[in-house]
Amino acid sequence: MVEPAVALFGEAYEKAARVLEELLRESGARYTLLLDRKGFVLVHKEALWAPKPPALDSLATLIAGNAAATQALARMLGEPRFNELLHQGSTHGLYVEEVGELALLVIVFDSSAPVGRVKLYGKRAAQALEGITQEAVVSPGTLGIDSEYREGASALLDELFGN
Amino acid sequence: MSTINFAAREINFKIVYYGPGMSGKTTNLKWVFQQIPQNRKGEMVSLATEDERTLFFDFLPVDLGEVKGFKTRFHLYTVPGQVFYNASRKLILRGVDGIVFVADSAPNRLRANAESMRNLRENLAEYGIKLEDIPIVLQANKRDTPDALPVEMIQAVIDPEKRFPIFEAVATTGMGVFETLKAVSREVLSRVASS
Repeated sequence: MVEPAVALFGEAYEKAARVLEELLRESGARYTLLLDRKGFVLVHKEALWAPKPPALDSLATLIAGNAAATQALARMLGEPRFNELLHQGSTHGLYVEEVGELALLVIVFDSSAPVGRVKLYGKRAAQALEGITQEAVVSPGTLGIDSEYREGASALLDELFGN
Repeated sequence: MSTINFAAREINFKIVYYGPGMSGKTTNLKWVFQQIPQNRKGEMVSLATEDERTLFFDFLPVDLGEVKGFKTRFHLYTVPGQVFYNASRKLILRGVDGIVFVADSAPNRLRANAESMRNLRENLAEYGIKLEDIPIVLQANKRDTPDALPVEMIQAVIDPEKRFPIFEAVATTGMGVFETLKAVSREVLSRVASS
Protein backbone atom coordinates (compact mmCIF):
# COMPACT_ATOMS: atom_id res chain seq x y z
CA MET A 1 0.00 0.00 0.00
CA VAL A 2 2.81 2.32 -0.71
CA GLU A 3 2.11 2.91 -4.35
CA PRO A 4 0.18 6.08 -5.16
CA ALA A 5 -3.22 5.67 -6.76
CA VAL A 6 -4.80 7.52 -9.64
CA ALA A 7 -8.26 8.71 -8.62
CA LEU A 8 -10.00 10.33 -11.56
CA PHE A 9 -13.11 12.27 -10.71
CA GLY A 10 -14.81 15.56 -11.38
CA GLU A 11 -13.05 17.78 -13.88
CA ALA A 12 -10.05 15.46 -14.33
CA TYR A 13 -12.36 12.58 -15.23
CA GLU A 14 -14.30 14.75 -17.68
CA LYS A 15 -11.08 15.92 -19.30
CA ALA A 16 -9.78 12.36 -19.68
CA ALA A 17 -13.14 11.22 -21.08
CA ARG A 18 -13.04 14.03 -23.64
CA VAL A 19 -9.53 13.03 -24.73
CA LEU A 20 -10.67 9.42 -25.21
CA GLU A 21 -13.76 10.50 -27.16
CA GLU A 22 -11.73 12.72 -29.43
CA LEU A 23 -9.27 9.88 -29.95
CA LEU A 24 -12.10 7.54 -30.95
CA ARG A 25 -13.37 10.05 -33.47
CA GLU A 26 -9.99 10.92 -34.97
CA SER A 27 -8.55 7.43 -35.12
CA GLY A 28 -11.70 5.55 -36.14
CA ALA A 29 -11.06 3.01 -33.37
CA ARG A 30 -13.71 0.88 -31.64
CA TYR A 31 -12.80 1.34 -27.98
CA THR A 32 -10.37 3.46 -26.00
CA LEU A 33 -9.45 2.83 -22.37
CA LEU A 34 -7.31 4.48 -19.75
CA LEU A 35 -6.00 1.92 -17.24
CA ASP A 36 -3.79 2.14 -14.23
CA ARG A 37 -0.70 -0.10 -14.26
CA LYS A 38 -2.37 -2.54 -11.92
CA GLY A 39 -4.97 -3.37 -14.53
CA PHE A 40 -7.96 -1.37 -13.29
CA VAL A 41 -10.04 0.62 -15.76
CA LEU A 42 -10.08 4.36 -14.99
CA VAL A 43 -12.10 5.59 -18.00
CA HIS A 44 -13.34 3.92 -21.15
CA LYS A 45 -15.20 5.02 -24.26
CA GLU A 46 -16.83 3.02 -27.05
CA ALA A 47 -17.63 4.14 -30.59
CA LEU A 48 -21.40 4.27 -31.15
CA TRP A 49 -21.15 1.90 -34.09
CA ALA A 50 -18.93 -0.66 -32.31
CA PRO A 51 -20.30 -3.98 -31.05
CA LYS A 52 -20.35 -4.67 -27.31
CA PRO A 53 -16.75 -4.89 -26.05
CA PRO A 54 -15.34 -8.00 -24.37
CA ALA A 55 -15.19 -8.08 -20.53
CA LEU A 56 -13.25 -4.92 -19.70
CA ASP A 57 -11.86 -6.28 -16.42
CA SER A 58 -10.24 -9.21 -18.19
CA LEU A 59 -9.03 -7.04 -21.04
CA ALA A 60 -7.47 -4.53 -18.64
CA THR A 61 -5.80 -7.21 -16.52
CA LEU A 62 -4.25 -8.95 -19.50
CA ILE A 63 -3.04 -5.69 -21.02
CA ALA A 64 -1.48 -4.51 -17.75
CA GLY A 65 0.23 -7.91 -17.34
CA ASN A 66 1.44 -7.80 -20.92
CA ALA A 67 2.73 -4.23 -20.54
CA ALA A 68 4.52 -5.11 -17.30
CA ALA A 69 6.16 -8.13 -18.95
CA THR A 70 7.20 -5.99 -21.92
CA GLN A 71 8.83 -3.42 -19.63
CA ALA A 72 10.67 -6.18 -17.79
CA LEU A 73 11.94 -7.45 -21.17
CA ALA A 74 13.08 -3.94 -22.12
CA ARG A 75 15.09 -3.62 -18.94
CA MET A 76 16.68 -7.03 -19.50
CA LEU A 77 17.80 -5.83 -22.92
CA GLY A 78 19.26 -2.64 -21.48
CA GLU A 79 16.46 -0.34 -22.64
CA PRO A 80 14.80 1.95 -20.09
CA ARG A 81 11.44 1.13 -21.70
CA PHE A 82 9.59 0.07 -24.82
CA ASN A 83 7.15 2.87 -25.41
CA GLU A 84 4.36 1.11 -27.21
CA LEU A 85 2.78 -2.28 -27.77
CA LEU A 86 1.04 -3.22 -30.98
CA HIS A 87 -0.84 -6.44 -31.79
CA GLN A 88 -2.47 -6.91 -35.17
CA GLY A 89 -4.61 -9.77 -36.39
CA SER A 90 -6.47 -10.12 -39.67
CA THR A 91 -9.35 -7.89 -38.55
CA HIS A 92 -8.59 -6.58 -35.06
CA GLY A 93 -5.73 -4.65 -33.57
CA LEU A 94 -4.66 -3.48 -30.15
CA TYR A 95 -2.40 -0.53 -29.48
CA VAL A 96 -1.04 0.32 -26.03
CA GLU A 97 0.86 3.48 -25.17
CA GLU A 98 2.38 4.39 -21.82
CA VAL A 99 0.82 7.33 -19.99
CA GLY A 100 3.59 8.35 -17.61
CA GLU A 101 4.55 5.97 -14.81
CA LEU A 102 1.10 5.07 -13.58
CA ALA A 103 -1.27 4.56 -16.49
CA LEU A 104 -1.74 2.99 -19.91
CA LEU A 105 -3.75 4.09 -22.92
CA VAL A 106 -5.38 1.27 -24.87
CA ILE A 107 -6.90 1.53 -28.34
CA VAL A 108 -8.82 -1.38 -29.82
CA PHE A 109 -9.37 -0.96 -33.55
CA ASP A 110 -10.41 -2.95 -36.60
CA SER A 111 -9.32 -3.04 -40.23
CA SER A 112 -11.30 0.15 -41.01
CA ALA A 113 -8.81 2.21 -38.97
CA PRO A 114 -5.30 2.50 -40.46
CA VAL A 115 -2.69 1.60 -37.86
CA GLY A 116 -0.64 4.71 -38.71
CA ARG A 117 -3.57 6.91 -37.79
CA VAL A 118 -4.20 4.97 -34.58
CA LYS A 119 -0.58 5.39 -33.53
CA LEU A 120 -0.41 9.08 -34.44
CA TYR A 121 -3.52 10.06 -32.51
CA GLY A 122 -2.71 7.56 -29.78
CA LYS A 123 0.60 9.26 -29.05
CA ARG A 124 -1.04 12.69 -28.97
CA ALA A 125 -3.75 11.46 -26.63
CA ALA A 126 -1.19 9.80 -24.33
CA GLN A 127 0.63 13.11 -23.96
CA ALA A 128 -2.59 14.91 -23.08
CA LEU A 129 -3.56 12.18 -20.61
CA GLU A 130 -0.20 12.21 -18.86
CA GLY A 131 -0.79 15.66 -17.40
CA ILE A 132 -4.34 14.77 -16.38
CA THR A 133 -3.32 11.57 -14.58
CA GLN A 134 -0.41 13.24 -12.82
CA GLU A 135 -2.80 15.75 -11.32
CA ALA A 136 -5.09 12.91 -10.23
CA VAL A 137 -2.49 11.05 -8.18
CA VAL A 138 -3.56 10.75 -4.56
CA SER A 139 -1.87 9.38 -1.50
CA PRO A 140 -3.50 6.43 0.29
CA GLY A 141 -4.67 8.61 3.19
CA THR A 142 -6.91 10.80 1.07
CA LEU A 143 -9.09 8.14 -0.50
CA GLY A 144 -11.98 8.71 1.87
CA ILE A 145 -12.57 5.11 2.93
CA ASP A 146 -13.85 5.24 6.48
CA SER A 147 -14.88 2.76 9.13
CA GLU A 148 -18.53 3.04 8.10
CA TYR A 149 -17.53 1.83 4.65
CA ARG A 150 -15.49 -0.98 6.19
CA GLU A 151 -18.42 -2.20 8.28
CA GLY A 152 -20.76 -2.14 5.29
CA ALA A 153 -18.29 -4.07 3.18
CA SER A 154 -17.69 -6.53 5.99
CA ALA A 155 -21.42 -7.31 6.18
CA LEU A 156 -21.43 -7.99 2.45
CA LEU A 157 -18.49 -10.36 2.88
CA ASP A 158 -20.62 -12.39 5.32
CA GLU A 159 -23.49 -12.41 2.87
CA LEU A 160 -21.36 -13.59 -0.05
CA PHE A 161 -19.04 -16.05 1.69
CA GLY A 162 -21.22 -17.12 4.62
CA ASN A 163 -20.75 -16.49 8.34
CA MET B 1 -2.96 0.40 -3.33
CA SER B 2 -6.68 0.11 -3.97
CA THR B 3 -8.06 1.92 -6.98
CA ILE B 4 -11.08 4.16 -6.65
CA ASN B 5 -12.99 5.08 -9.76
CA PHE B 6 -15.22 7.92 -8.60
CA ALA B 7 -16.84 8.32 -11.99
CA ALA B 8 -17.98 4.71 -12.13
CA ARG B 9 -18.32 4.75 -8.33
CA GLU B 10 -16.13 1.68 -7.89
CA ILE B 11 -13.52 0.67 -5.35
CA ASN B 12 -11.21 -2.13 -6.41
CA PHE B 13 -8.83 -4.19 -4.32
CA LYS B 14 -6.14 -6.57 -5.53
CA ILE B 15 -5.58 -9.82 -3.67
CA VAL B 16 -2.79 -12.18 -4.71
CA TYR B 17 -2.58 -15.89 -3.92
CA TYR B 18 1.09 -16.75 -3.40
CA GLY B 19 2.88 -19.98 -2.52
CA PRO B 20 4.96 -22.84 -3.88
CA GLY B 21 4.13 -24.71 -7.08
CA MET B 22 1.19 -27.15 -6.88
CA SER B 23 0.10 -25.90 -3.44
CA GLY B 24 -3.45 -25.19 -4.68
CA LYS B 25 -3.59 -21.48 -5.51
CA THR B 26 -5.48 -21.97 -8.77
CA THR B 27 -7.73 -24.56 -7.08
CA ASN B 28 -8.71 -21.91 -4.52
CA LEU B 29 -9.72 -19.53 -7.30
CA LYS B 30 -11.58 -22.24 -9.20
CA TRP B 31 -13.61 -23.06 -6.12
CA VAL B 32 -14.53 -19.42 -5.59
CA PHE B 33 -15.46 -19.16 -9.26
CA GLN B 34 -17.69 -22.26 -9.06
CA GLN B 35 -19.47 -21.31 -5.88
CA ILE B 36 -20.34 -17.64 -6.10
CA PRO B 37 -23.42 -16.55 -8.03
CA GLN B 38 -23.11 -15.59 -11.67
CA ASN B 39 -24.03 -11.95 -11.03
CA ARG B 40 -21.22 -11.55 -8.47
CA LYS B 41 -18.29 -12.65 -10.63
CA GLY B 42 -16.62 -11.83 -13.92
CA GLU B 43 -14.78 -14.08 -16.31
CA MET B 44 -11.98 -16.21 -14.91
CA VAL B 45 -8.83 -15.80 -16.96
CA SER B 46 -6.10 -18.45 -16.73
CA LEU B 47 -2.75 -18.13 -18.43
CA ALA B 48 -1.57 -21.70 -18.01
CA THR B 49 0.52 -24.30 -19.80
CA GLU B 50 -1.11 -27.29 -21.49
CA ASP B 51 -0.73 -29.36 -18.34
CA GLU B 52 -2.61 -26.68 -16.38
CA ARG B 53 0.39 -25.20 -14.58
CA THR B 54 0.01 -21.45 -14.14
CA LEU B 55 2.33 -19.71 -16.58
CA PHE B 56 1.68 -16.05 -15.80
CA PHE B 57 -1.40 -15.67 -13.62
CA ASP B 58 -5.05 -16.57 -13.04
CA PHE B 59 -7.50 -13.74 -12.56
CA LEU B 60 -11.01 -13.62 -11.14
CA PRO B 61 -12.99 -10.44 -10.42
CA VAL B 62 -15.50 -10.78 -7.56
CA ASP B 63 -18.23 -8.20 -6.97
CA LEU B 64 -18.90 -7.70 -3.30
CA GLY B 65 -21.84 -5.36 -3.87
CA GLU B 66 -22.50 -1.71 -3.17
CA VAL B 67 -21.25 0.02 -0.05
CA LYS B 68 -22.01 3.69 0.60
CA GLY B 69 -22.80 4.13 -3.08
CA PHE B 70 -19.57 2.49 -4.25
CA LYS B 71 -19.45 -0.82 -6.06
CA THR B 72 -16.77 -2.80 -4.26
CA ARG B 73 -14.79 -5.34 -6.18
CA PHE B 74 -11.97 -7.72 -5.33
CA HIS B 75 -9.61 -8.74 -8.10
CA LEU B 76 -8.14 -12.13 -7.23
CA TYR B 77 -4.86 -13.20 -8.79
CA THR B 78 -2.64 -16.23 -8.47
CA VAL B 79 1.07 -16.25 -9.26
CA PRO B 80 2.93 -19.11 -10.95
CA GLY B 81 4.44 -21.10 -8.08
CA GLN B 82 7.28 -22.78 -9.90
CA VAL B 83 10.65 -21.39 -8.87
CA PHE B 84 11.80 -20.38 -12.37
CA TYR B 85 8.81 -18.08 -12.97
CA ASN B 86 10.00 -15.48 -10.50
CA ALA B 87 10.03 -12.62 -13.01
CA SER B 88 6.29 -13.13 -13.57
CA ARG B 89 5.57 -13.42 -9.84
CA LYS B 90 7.23 -10.09 -9.21
CA LEU B 91 5.05 -8.36 -11.82
CA ILE B 92 1.81 -9.69 -10.37
CA LEU B 93 2.66 -8.24 -6.95
CA ARG B 94 2.54 -4.68 -8.25
CA GLY B 95 -0.17 -2.72 -6.47
CA VAL B 96 -1.19 -5.66 -4.25
CA ASP B 97 -3.56 -4.89 -1.35
CA GLY B 98 -3.56 -8.29 0.37
CA ILE B 99 -1.89 -11.70 0.11
CA VAL B 100 -3.07 -15.25 0.72
CA PHE B 101 -0.06 -17.51 1.18
CA VAL B 102 -1.09 -21.05 0.24
CA ALA B 103 1.22 -23.60 1.85
CA ASP B 104 1.29 -27.29 1.01
CA SER B 105 0.78 -29.63 3.99
CA ALA B 106 2.78 -32.53 2.50
CA PRO B 107 6.02 -33.25 4.42
CA ASN B 108 8.14 -33.17 1.27
CA ARG B 109 6.93 -29.62 0.50
CA LEU B 110 7.96 -28.03 3.77
CA ARG B 111 11.15 -26.62 2.32
CA ALA B 112 9.29 -25.36 -0.77
CA ASN B 113 6.89 -23.50 1.53
CA ALA B 114 9.77 -21.84 3.34
CA GLU B 115 11.52 -20.90 0.10
CA SER B 116 8.34 -19.44 -1.34
CA MET B 117 7.82 -17.28 1.75
CA ARG B 118 11.40 -16.04 1.51
CA ASN B 119 10.81 -15.33 -2.17
CA LEU B 120 7.65 -13.37 -1.30
CA ARG B 121 9.60 -11.26 1.18
CA GLU B 122 12.30 -10.55 -1.41
CA ASN B 123 9.84 -9.68 -4.17
CA LEU B 124 7.83 -7.36 -1.94
CA ALA B 125 11.07 -5.67 -0.88
CA GLU B 126 11.66 -4.75 -4.51
CA TYR B 127 8.48 -2.64 -4.32
CA GLY B 128 9.63 -1.19 -1.01
CA ILE B 129 7.07 -3.23 0.97
CA LYS B 130 7.79 -5.25 4.10
CA LEU B 131 5.73 -8.30 5.06
CA GLU B 132 4.25 -6.40 8.00
CA ASP B 133 3.13 -3.53 5.72
CA ILE B 134 0.51 -5.63 4.00
CA PRO B 135 -2.36 -7.87 5.12
CA ILE B 136 -1.28 -11.50 4.83
CA VAL B 137 -3.33 -14.60 5.61
CA LEU B 138 -1.81 -18.07 5.59
CA GLN B 139 -3.58 -21.17 4.37
CA ALA B 140 -2.34 -24.69 5.17
CA ASN B 141 -3.84 -26.47 2.19
CA LYS B 142 -4.19 -30.18 1.36
CA ARG B 143 -5.12 -31.12 4.91
CA ASP B 144 -6.53 -34.35 3.46
CA THR B 145 -3.03 -35.55 2.58
CA PRO B 146 -2.60 -38.80 4.61
CA ASP B 147 0.70 -37.71 6.16
CA ALA B 148 -0.15 -34.00 6.39
CA LEU B 149 2.19 -32.15 8.72
CA PRO B 150 0.73 -30.50 11.83
CA VAL B 151 -0.32 -26.91 11.11
CA GLU B 152 1.98 -25.71 13.92
CA MET B 153 4.96 -27.19 12.12
CA ILE B 154 4.09 -25.47 8.84
CA GLN B 155 3.53 -22.19 10.65
CA ALA B 156 6.83 -22.56 12.49
CA VAL B 157 8.58 -22.63 9.14
CA ILE B 158 6.74 -19.92 7.21
CA ASP B 159 5.75 -17.63 10.07
CA PRO B 160 7.77 -18.47 13.20
CA GLU B 161 6.66 -15.26 14.93
CA LYS B 162 2.98 -16.15 14.37
CA ARG B 163 2.20 -12.73 12.93
CA PHE B 164 -0.43 -13.89 10.47
CA PRO B 165 -3.69 -15.81 10.87
CA ILE B 166 -3.62 -19.34 9.49
CA PHE B 167 -6.50 -21.41 8.10
CA GLU B 168 -6.66 -25.11 7.34
CA ALA B 169 -8.01 -25.98 3.91
CA VAL B 170 -8.77 -28.66 1.37
CA ALA B 171 -9.24 -26.45 -1.65
CA THR B 172 -10.44 -29.30 -3.87
CA THR B 173 -13.55 -29.68 -1.68
CA GLY B 174 -13.80 -26.00 -0.75
CA MET B 175 -12.96 -26.51 2.92
CA GLY B 176 -11.40 -23.31 4.25
CA VAL B 177 -11.43 -21.51 0.89
CA PHE B 178 -14.08 -18.90 1.67
CA GLU B 179 -12.84 -18.52 5.25
CA THR B 180 -9.37 -17.63 3.99
CA LEU B 181 -10.66 -15.20 1.37
CA LYS B 182 -12.99 -13.57 3.85
CA ALA B 183 -10.19 -13.12 6.38
CA VAL B 184 -7.82 -11.45 3.94
CA SER B 185 -10.61 -9.26 2.54
CA ARG B 186 -11.51 -8.08 6.05
CA GLU B 187 -7.88 -7.23 6.79
CA VAL B 188 -7.57 -5.34 3.53
CA LEU B 189 -10.69 -3.30 4.27
CA SER B 190 -9.58 -2.60 7.79
CA ARG B 191 -6.10 -1.53 6.68
CA VAL B 192 -7.46 0.82 4.02
CA ALA B 193 -10.04 2.33 6.35
CA SER B 194 -7.41 3.08 8.97
CA SER B 195 -4.82 4.53 6.56
